[in-house]
Amino acid sequence: MNLALKDTLHAPTRFALTTLGIAFLVMAVIGMTGLYRGIVEDALLIIDRIDADLWVVQGKRAGPFAEGSAVAADMDRRVEGVPGVADVRRFTQFSQQFSFAGAPRRATVTGVDVPRDNGHWLSLAEGRWLGGSRYEAVADASTGLKVDDRIQLARDVYTIVGLTRHMVDSAGDGLLFVGINDAAVIARRRTSEEIHLARAAGTGAGAVSADASSVAQDSKISAVLVRLDPAADTARVIATLQRWGDVRVMTTGEQRDLMLNARLWKLRLQILTFTGMILLITAIVVSLIVYTMTLEKLHVIALLKLMGARESVVVRLIGQQAALIGIAGYALAVVLAWMIFPFFPRRVVMLPPDLAQIALALAIVCTVAAWVGIARASQVEAREVLS
Amino acid sequence: MSGAPVLSVRSLSRHYATGGGLVRALDGVSLDVAAGELVGIFGPSGSGKSTFLMLAGLLENPTSGEVWLAGERVSHADADLDSLREIRRKRIGFVFQKANLIPFLSAVENIALGLELADVAPADAHAHGRRLLAALDLVHRADHLPAKLSGGEQQRVAVARALANAPPLILADEPTAALDSVRGRQVMEIFRRIAGTRGAAVLVITHDPRSTDLFDRIVHFEDGRICVGKVDR
Repeated sequence: MNLALKDTLHAPTRFALTTLGIAFLVMAVIGMTGLYRGIVEDALLIIDRIDADLWVVQGKRAGPFAEGSAVAADMDRRVEGVPGVADVRRFTQFSQQFSFAGAPRRATVTGVDVPRDNGHWLSLAEGRWLGGSRYEAVADASTGLKVDDRIQLARDVYTIVGLTRHMVDSAGDGLLFVGINDAAVIARRRTSEEIHLARAAGTGAGAVSADASSVAQDSKISAVLVRLDPAADTARVIATLQRWGDVRVMTTGEQRDLMLNARLWKLRLQILTFTGMILLITAIVVSLIVYTMTLEKLHVIALLKLMGARESVVVRLIGQQAALIGIAGYALAVVLAWMIFPFFPRRVVMLPPDLAQIALALAIVCTVAAWVGIARASQVEAREVLS
Repeated sequence: MSGAPVLSVRSLSRHYATGGGLVRALDGVSLDVAAGELVGIFGPSGSGKSTFLMLAGLLENPTSGEVWLAGERVSHADADLDSLREIRRKRIGFVFQKANLIPFLSAVENIALGLELADVAPADAHAHGRRLLAALDLVHRADHLPAKLSGGEQQRVAVARALANAPPLILADEPTAALDSVRGRQVMEIFRRIAGTRGAAVLVITHDPRSTDLFDRIVHFEDGRICVGKVDR
């Protein structure tokens, strides 16, 4: 007979509460790990999906994600002429607050170069991609917008023509795709007073200031995305573009590296530290539970020894109970995670390898806890039944 | 005394060193118990009765002396207690003042456990457990947890458990102390029956003078020794 199972079923409420407690701890570990994965995935979403080989950004800057970047509005035409370049697209991205249904909303406006960019790199959940006409937008569902909704950005009203899912920036704000020219207009939004003051300043004899730049300072184009010919020599194209001096060229790999190891480094470190702490707390709690359960059974263990039970019977009793708690806690944690995490404001990505590693960590914790319990049980002597 | 001794102890001593000096809990006790014999051990508290049961039950090593079971020397001062588990499992049944049933097992499971520990198939173990409960008029309580049984019923289940492996030696330590006179008498009669019908050697440590008529022999302990001239019957 399975003594561990018998003992467990003897006090089902206690087992259920213990399992629930462990499940919540494991769920927190799954959540922290998933949050980390979600943040990394969100941050790399555009970089990985937009299908660019090279990013041409403002010179001596690490734009457009890790640093601000502005390139000349006609930079795409200059880049297009370089041998080895297959096609180019202009790109910009910035945060935008707007009002919808009487409530303030946030979105990250992403200017894409329609019609050159046909949106093949993202999947629409609903509606259609941007057509050639102005004042259309494709929104992520996380913005709370739906197809045919109309929103005001700067001085214009945009119609939502398509919806994406799970397309957010590194801060978790949903992406709002508009044509690059519309994006430039939205970014240039100014008050009437600002315009008057700018005009007044512009009448100052047309003097060239000391920090005059080849890049128009009101340019809202952050980067030019380049796809190379399959036969092109990447290093040669980069060298050609860098020789211009006013741009910096980065590969997709460099953009990924900048995003993960510069912009998100502290956040990643903090999340991983918290994950480690929760895992440690889980280990301590599980160990205490298994050890306490062993202490409560010392009399039974002494009786088993008195009856001549082999040590393996005692080892199985403790080991199986630790395993039972671990397996039930883990299974419940995964179920709860699937049910609860979709309602979290940030995406929690549960990857099978992460779940497997957490299961392995829990298995190790349970094994160590059971070993501690077994070590205590091995000190019990049969004669203790009489005490 | 009839038949070969099932239990034979020779010059058994157990001494403890304490702050106040050496305590001689048991001091040179020799005793034989034969198959089919019901022996009562009487004596005041601290006389060495329980220490004797510990040593005879292979739960503790003697300081000196030997314990023999069916002609085999099994315990002595240097014996490995852990290796004596198998002998306990196969050859000794224990009954205590408290029934000491496992709380999360039913009556029949408590009995079957002893058999399963000896590698008997679960179905056979349960069937034998029910037979034993039937013999003790308890089969109707077979599936009840110990908490649902009365003190007398629990003690009878404990007796059934001790009998499960048909051990040649039953050791009982104050088995009737927690029972009223009627139930105490019932339990002692069961021991009498076990010794008579199963041929087991039964050694009962007790304070209870109400069932002395059932014993084949009564041994008195005092100050860790068998009182000379007080071995009755």
